[in-house]
Amino acid sequence: MRPAALWRSSAWPARLLPALVLLGLLAAWEGVVRTAHIPAYTLPAPSLVAQTLVANFGSLAGSWWVTLKITFGALALACIGGALIAALFALSPTLERALFPVAVVLQVTPIVAVAPLILIYVESTTAALLLCAWIVAFFPILSNTVIGLRAADANLRDLFRLYRATPWQRLRLLRMPAALPYFVAGLKISGGLSLIGAVTAEMVAGAAGRETGLASRILEASFRTETPKMFAALALLVATGVMIFWLFNALSRWLLGPWHASESSRPL
Amino acid sequence: MQANSATMPPDALLSPHPPYPPYPPYPPHPPLLPHPPLLQPLIALQRVHKQFDNGLQALSDVSLSVAPGEFVALLGPSGCGKSTVLRLAAGLDAASSGTVQAPALLPGRTSETAYVFQEPTLLPWASVFDNVWLPLRLQGRSRADAAATVRQVLARVGLADFEQAYPAALSGGMKMRASIARALVTQPQVLLMDEPFAALDDITRQKLNADLLQWWHGRLMAALFVTHSVAEAVFLSQRVLVMAPRPGRVVAELVIPQPYPRSADFRHSSAFADACRAVGAALSEAHDGPARQLPMAGLR
Amino acid sequence: MHSRLTLLITAAWLTLAGIGPAQAQHKVTFATNWKAQAAHGGFYQAVADGTYKKYGLDVTIQQGGPSVNNRPLLPAGRVDFLMTGNLLHSFDNIKNKVPTVVVAAMFQKDPQALLAHPGQGYERFENLKNAPLALIAKDGQFSWWQWLKVLHGFKDEALKPYNYNLAPFLSNPKAIQQGYSVAEPIYVENQGKFKPVVHLLADHGFSTYSTLIEARTETVKARPELVQRFVDASVIGWINYLYGNRKAAAALMVRDNPEMSEAEMEASVALMKSQGIVDTGEAAARGVGAMSTARIADFYAQMVKAGLYKAGEVDLTQVATLQFVNKGVGQDIKAKLSGK
Repeated sequence: MRPAALWRSSAWPARLLPALVLLGLLAAWEGVVRTAHIPAYTLPAPSLVAQTLVANFGSLAGSWWVTLKITFGALALACIGGALIAALFALSPTLERALFPVAVVLQVTPIVAVAPLILIYVESTTAALLLCAWIVAFFPILSNTVIGLRAADANLRDLFRLYRATPWQRLRLLRMPAALPYFVAGLKISGGLSLIGAVTAEMVAGAAGRETGLASRILEASFRTETPKMFAALALLVATGVMIFWLFNALSRWLLGPWHASESSRPL
Repeated sequence: MQANSATMPPDALLSPHPPYPPYPPYPPHPPLLPHPPLLQPLIALQRVHKQFDNGLQALSDVSLSVAPGEFVALLGPSGCGKSTVLRLAAGLDAASSGTVQAPALLPGRTSETAYVFQEPTLLPWASVFDNVWLPLRLQGRSRADAAATVRQVLARVGLADFEQAYPAALSGGMKMRASIARALVTQPQVLLMDEPFAALDDITRQKLNADLLQWWHGRLMAALFVTHSVAEAVFLSQRVLVMAPRPGRVVAELVIPQPYPRSADFRHSSAFADACRAVGAALSEAHDGPARQLPMAGLR
Repeated sequence: MHSRLTLLITAAWLTLAGIGPAQAQHKVTFATNWKAQAAHGGFYQAVADGTYKKYGLDVTIQQGGPSVNNRPLLPAGRVDFLMTGNLLHSFDNIKNKVPTVVVAAMFQKDPQALLAHPGQGYERFENLKNAPLALIAKDGQFSWWQWLKVLHGFKDEALKPYNYNLAPFLSNPKAIQQGYSVAEPIYVENQGKFKPVVHLLADHGFSTYSTLIEARTETVKARPELVQRFVDASVIGWINYLYGNRKAAAALMVRDNPEMSEAEMEASVALMKSQGIVDTGEAAARGVGAMSTARIADFYAQMVKAGLYKAGEVDLTQVATLQFVNKGVGQDIKAKLSGK
């Protein structure tokens, strides 16, 4: 686009809007802290948090990496597990009827209560944290994919019957692609849940020594009354959540863009 | 046969017709089912009843047949069982009683029957090429192997430039062409079509009608075409079966003797108008009872 | 006329004099750092036997717990006094410019200890660092565990989170866990049916005071007499608890924490006395609650060596104020009760 056209185009304000809102909120926060003289150990100003983040970035980055590993590890396992189990359920309705209640039980079990128990039974702390985050993250993927695998258009199903497709062909060429939008929707939900699960599990059950994630750093800062550091670690967590959200939105656009109504640019 | 319909006596339209000679097959062509005498029907329903689980009597004592190279229209309002007849012929549903003979019901056969739905029913996540490739793919042919056939049929329906497009980017008419291309790619012997052009505008519909005849003509396909448009039934078919609802049954059979190929001029001829009038009368009589004395007698 | 006025005025004076010493009851909230246990006994005693009331204080004890962190309540103004477990919390507060100050130290020894199974080679403190499994809670992990790592060679690989559940320790003979020397050994004996080996951290250089009373600096500046009353009443409460009749206090604590039993609390008191937690050292001479700047400085130096702080990072003059203790309050009561 020519520069003049760029300025006039309506895309710019729309794209800048979220950033402007965020900056506005941060400015308001800073203003409130300064005018009300709120002490740093109660509510630090964004400028102080930023300073602390930069000053401690080396050590916080290590913990950030640990949390990222657990989050994405659990998410990958939830994808594989959720999709596999959903495919099994699709191929065998009796299996689905038998095992779906188990899945529901896993979904509703509060991770806060279960995490300490898991940590007792499982040897490795990393495995225990992965398991906790997996429990939280896998159900949306499973549930959505199961629905998706049933969502193929009735006429398309007839078409495949007409051409005598084998069950495997049906699964691969019809049901799985039809399930993709639902799977991606589940993935978007599970992305955030996986982060929450990893953080909750670490907060409740704790991690040790060198393998500490951001949740442990938040706790440590809170115990040592280092509130700006706590907020710095929290800011990294929030950034991770936002990054996951953007990532899966981009993934959804890439996978579904050319053909699914949810990614269509036409106004509703 | 009859050269100029203007010189024909009116009731000559309704007299029993001699069998049409078969057109020469368009090479390459799969081997035909053996059929002495000449027109052994490919699809045959005899005294078929169909009752659904909820007690609805969809079909009652329906008998019809379609021979290779015949184009038959099923005409009737919604709810008279036309789609049910089609699904029985495709093997997608089973009759409650009576016999149904169709290639789709024979074990081991996979591609003699093609079905075109009312919606284009394309795989939305696949390109036009992949959609048309699908029946061959289900038979086990690879993309490279089938590419030539797919491209040939896409060219025939006029979608050669849209090979890589996704269905979401196509108009209604183009999607329907793609759907028909998919139906034709396996060179089927039976072509079942369930009101495929109902959702399109008149101009596109008439164009597709003409194109459909071109694609069907000369390939000895037994075509069974469901519609609720009198004009469409008359333009496309040699025989029009009029159906009535509740329960679904065939109440009249009319012959359209206009030879193929039929051009767009046929629509403007008086033979067409007369045929439409006759068919329309049969249709309304089937539903409302005899409304007034018809000028034509001799309904079969 | 004149005489009647005099009478009236005299009567008024006398009435006021009568009311005088019984001052208006000042409402005070005191937050502890755990669920009610014998280690809080002195404070509950002062509530139960009316000592706080005698000093004009209407005290509510707000207990803490495993998932409760009461510490931010003090600078936020939600509680008036706070009990903390060791000086590290105070150092952290001063480092982060939180305006609180320690006003008394009820325990001269920190009962923080490491427990181990008997007969597994952990009878010597030096062998604890070789344990394959050390169950340490988050509070300790971020404070004295660092000291153990740097000065005593403990390793992070052995650390696993302690969720205040004895099961992992009881089921693994090679495991060690943290605990209060006056509390956990009793529970271990009750549940695991064996007497654990107990190593007091205080015996190996962890020289902090414990069960400290903290107050906001503004309270100390504006209402020193309130702070003095609270400290004095708490000291007397502790002496009464250790040497007097504990029944009423025990009842109060069981009401607050139904999982506690009186037998456990009695055993705990016995341990407190035998280990010299409350009234040994400086407290023997100058009364319960005594503190000295020298000991605070020494402990800080230890923690600097352990890498928890940098030298000079914390202004030690702001950590504690000695104005309310070291006055020998309650020594006479103790002498009377213990028959000395």
